[in-house]
Amino acid sequence: MSVTPEEVRQIARLAELSVDEEHLDDLAAQMSRIVDYIAQLSQVSGGEHAKPFIPGPDLIRLRADVVAPQPLEGKLSDFAPAFREGFFLVPKLGAFEGAEEDEE
Amino acid sequence: MTEVEALASAKATATRLGKAKRLNALLTPTTVVRKSLLAQAKNAHPSGVLYGMPVALKDNICTLEFPTTCGSKLLEGYQSPYEATVVTKLKDAGALIAGKANLDEFAMGSSTEHSAYGRVLNPVDRTRVPGGSSGGSAALVGAGAVPAALGTETGGSVRQPAAFCGVVGIKPTYGRVSRYGLVAFGSSLDQIGVLGRSVHDAARVLSVISGRDPRDNTCENRDPLRLPTVPERLEGFVIGIPKEYFPVDLNPGVRRACDRAIRALKDLGAAVRDVSLPHTAYAIPTYYVIAPAEASSNLARFDGVRYGNRAKDVTTLADLYQRTRGAGFGPEVQRRILVGTYVLSSGYYDAYYKKAQQMRALLAQDFRNVFDRGVDLIFTPTTPTTAFKAGERTKDPVSMYLADCFTAPANLTGVPAMSLPIGRVKGLPVGGQFIGQPFLEDDMIEAAYALERAISGTEEA
Repeated sequence: MSVTPEEVRQIARLAELSVDEEHLDDLAAQMSRIVDYIAQLSQVSGGEHAKPFIPGPDLIRLRADVVAPQPLEGKLSDFAPAFREGFFLVPKLGAFEGAEEDEE
Repeated sequence: MTEVEALASAKATATRLGKAKRLNALLTPTTVVRKSLLAQAKNAHPSGVLYGMPVALKDNICTLEFPTTCGSKLLEGYQSPYEATVVTKLKDAGALIAGKANLDEFAMGSSTEHSAYGRVLNPVDRTRVPGGSSGGSAALVGAGAVPAALGTETGGSVRQPAAFCGVVGIKPTYGRVSRYGLVAFGSSLDQIGVLGRSVHDAARVLSVISGRDPRDNTCENRDPLRLPTVPERLEGFVIGIPKEYFPVDLNPGVRRACDRAIRALKDLGAAVRDVSLPHTAYAIPTYYVIAPAEASSNLARFDGVRYGNRAKDVTTLADLYQRTRGAGFGPEVQRRILVGTYVLSSGYYDAYYKKAQQMRALLAQDFRNVFDRGVDLIFTPTTPTTAFKAGERTKDPVSMYLADCFTAPANLTGVPAMSLPIGRVKGLPVGGQFIGQPFLEDDMIEAAYALERAISGTEEA
């Protein structure tokens, strides 16, 4: 098999998908069938210099194979009118019953 | 049409939808649809070009009136807070939204056997699949329950079920129709299309939903499609017949039906010319790299936090994500997410994803080469076979994927294409496909009008 059960486990972790251990062998077999099929693309020559039909590999930012938050394009503080010490400052939306008494 | 007639249309549609219930094509309960149709008929715009016309929607198009499930357990009962631009445009034109149609989960499939809400039956032969992933939309139109329905395409999901159910299916050019409010699958491929009982029904719905939308920056800044007139003849049209779409092992009945359609095109005055699209055989492997890669990214948002159902008794955030997705997604969606993640992972990116993007460029060049040599339209079979038996291809995903081998090239290259019935083989419908030049849907529709009038779509080939 071109895809092993161990690789399926690793890929499922990257995809944040729980997979039953008992289905790993079946999934590895199915993925191998698909991966072997799409591998025929590697036998075709040409196209290396062809302009992609739509934004393709050149515009894609690569990152390591780890599950991690995506970096933001802008600063976090730009998402709200006010930001202080790691918190967004927003208008008070309402008050719990008795809150005023507590404040007093 | 008057308001009384619109109400009568609503009532008749509700009755027809009730009769088609056994096909499992409609996800919205018929009682809910009936109530909604009657209310819509009372409030519809009488001056609209689709006034009183019932249109069903594939259930990956967001509506305010009905839940949007995408055929997935993960989104069971999900109520969108906004509606798709195509839905607003249909309502503005006076159309009546006739409920949500069943589909392969998240539009991933070619047989509508991969819905969490059960498989859809083909109205022509209930032991067979209706095609997919817009199988519910095609079955409703094929059964005569609605004159038109919206579907969506990523690799042929409108045209392939249209061919299997004996109806017309149009996939417009990428960027012709707004996708605002369409649940994304493969963003460089997805496009909303139309299924109709005739070329005219499908084309007039397409004309209404097409055109610019500031809410979707992949939607081109163009006026809505103008409908062509029905031509008497096709003189002046040059139609290319690509040899790669007529392989030796093509189903003989499909070949006979296509041969008859080509003779009819010649009789109508069109010049028919042999052409070549040499990279066609690589469309499906290319598609099954790019579409799963984009799906693995698009479906990352379904994590149990923002949308739909979530796993219970979880201990950590990672556990919540993994178990929600593991329990909520069906086997085909999980398989595609895994394949997509695999081809995008660091060891395999160049070998698969980059190579597929290069192949995509070659496929686009194939079409440009043909159109640059004076060909107006390409004619092919829509599918290599007629509708297959339910369960026949579910064990082997690759054999299922090959059902889209003649449709996926148009999605990968963004060109418009449509399927129309061109005959039957042993009682099963055969679809003929026109592929057009970008944003020249009117040429394609004009030729389809003429061919539809020239041959019987229900006659044995």
